[in-house]
Amino acid sequence: MMIRAAIVVCWVMAIGLALFLIVPLLVIAAASFSPTPVFDLPLTGASTRWYGRIGRLDGFWPSLLLSLQIALLSTAISLVSGTLAAIAIARGKLPGAGIFATALVSPLMMPGLVLGIALLQGFRAVGFTMPGATLLVAHLVITLPYVARTMIAGLARFDFTLIEAARTLGCTYPGSVLRVMVPALAPSFLIAGIFSFLASFDNYPVSIFLADVRTKTLPIRMLQYIEEAPDPTLAALSTLILTGTVILLFVSDRVVGLHRMAGTSD
Amino acid sequence: MSGAAPHLVVRSISKRYGPTTVLDHIDLTIRRGELVTLLGPSGCGKTTLLRAIAGLAQPDSGKVELAGRDITHVPPHKRNVGVVFQSYALFPHLTVAGNVAFGLKVRGTARREINAAVERALSLVKLGHLAGRRISALSGGQQQRVALARAIAVEPDVLLFDEALSALDRKLREEMQVELRRLLQDVKATAIFVTHDQDEALTMSDRVAVMNKGRIEQLAEPRELYLRPASLFALNFVGLSTRISGTVLAADNGKVDVETKVGRLSALGNFQAGSPVIVAARPEQLRLGEQSEANSAAGRVRSVVFQGSRTLVEVDAGAGESLLAELSERDGAIPRVHDEIRLSWPVTETFAFPMEAQA
Repeated sequence: MMIRAAIVVCWVMAIGLALFLIVPLLVIAAASFSPTPVFDLPLTGASTRWYGRIGRLDGFWPSLLLSLQIALLSTAISLVSGTLAAIAIARGKLPGAGIFATALVSPLMMPGLVLGIALLQGFRAVGFTMPGATLLVAHLVITLPYVARTMIAGLARFDFTLIEAARTLGCTYPGSVLRVMVPALAPSFLIAGIFSFLASFDNYPVSIFLADVRTKTLPIRMLQYIEEAPDPTLAALSTLILTGTVILLFVSDRVVGLHRMAGTSD
Repeated sequence: MSGAAPHLVVRSISKRYGPTTVLDHIDLTIRRGELVTLLGPSGCGKTTLLRAIAGLAQPDSGKVELAGRDITHVPPHKRNVGVVFQSYALFPHLTVAGNVAFGLKVRGTARREINAAVERALSLVKLGHLAGRRISALSGGQQQRVALARAIAVEPDVLLFDEALSALDRKLREEMQVELRRLLQDVKATAIFVTHDQDEALTMSDRVAVMNKGRIEQLAEPRELYLRPASLFALNFVGLSTRISGTVLAADNGKVDVETKVGRLSALGNFQAGSPVIVAARPEQLRLGEQSEANSAAGRVRSVVFQGSRTLVEVDAGAGESLLAELSERDGAIPRVHDEIRLSWPVTETFAFPMEAQA
């Protein structure tokens, strides 16, 4: 009887929490189709006019472009440098490898606000004040931990004998890395890349300290919109971003399996 | 030893890692088509020697020649060796056929030839029906076969096996030993196995090199290795034995009389009187009862272990010495624990080894 009750409680928790996480997303999607400027349930009809307005938001296109640029650039740099660092750590011959691993992943555990202030002060102290560049470097701090974490885990499962096998089969050393190590690690690269991209793309607390008038990322711009004119245009934009993310996750699931991305199974 | 030309020649190879000498002036000559095992405990240098032949470890000094060519400084990808690794090291992003084709693709072989070679190699290991499978969908035994097919497909001058069977469970391993030996003989491959498993070494090889501390202690055919071990280490590492310590009383033309705590024993060996030695014999040489012109010792049975075709009887001979006999039901009743028995064995199957060489 007790066991049954416990199972029921756990089921209720699982279903309840899933709803708790998903319902707000459904609400914002519903709100984006609201026919009236003020969102109200129940809906009385549907309209797509808010989607048409997204492009006309003040400063939307430069902000979107900037956010995409920063996210793609920081992800690319993180993937290359983070993977090299992860190799040194995963091969285990580096003294104090564990300390380096913790250090690389540590920004994940730091509040974004603290990170933002720290970076702002730090950059000022060394006289590094180029607007776009500071933002990019700050986003490297955000994205590197995701890459490092995923690649250290991926490399821990990678058998370096594979490279030796390729060499004895006729591959040069660089050839072996390209033909064997890179494809064998492709799932890890994909996972690391997606998480890193998303983390950079929607970052607010760090970006806010380093943005100026010309370098406002999309999240900063969105918060500004909601303060100025809270109409369903923002809900429409959010729904688009959400849809994009879902498509990205769906495609990666087809390629590598979502359970591996979530870390819930091997 | 036939007169066939040497195919793989290792000349005085040495290798040190920091203060440790891993390979100590190793010499080894292997004929074409020969199957040789490097047998020894972990850390004896057998894997390093294999890696030096494959080009994955650079020796500090010495030379390696393969098929008449000095390959000491040739990188692994130009050596034309095939390696089967302990972990198999199969490429997870490729199919079974993709793995087998890898070496040929890298070499730029024409597609038609690759397909034919892959088909040939896979049918050789009886995996033709799994060509399109993913590696992760295979059992350990199947992965082992893919690794073998991949190494064979490039028609290497020598095949190197690094503990290649040790990940399989016992029954499968024993089947593979026999099958692998037959397969390699069929394709006339020259192969070197590295293993710490004496059964594997005895089953698979034409010759076995027993390695210890970076040296080859003995290089011999399996039968000779077992019947005439060249050192105490070789004796201990391959098969079981009775070993009794003593002091040489008298030496005469390759034979010695040794005073031990269980009585006076005779053994083959060249020593000066007074030398401390270990006298040893294989357990199947020991028989119940007295024999004329033979060594003998008495004691109380400590344990009787039934192992199917044989029964191992351990006898406490007193003074810390023990005797190990392998008895068969056919030769009379097997004694029981606590029985007082006498065992005897021929002098010509008794060997003396220097005491200080004990590993």
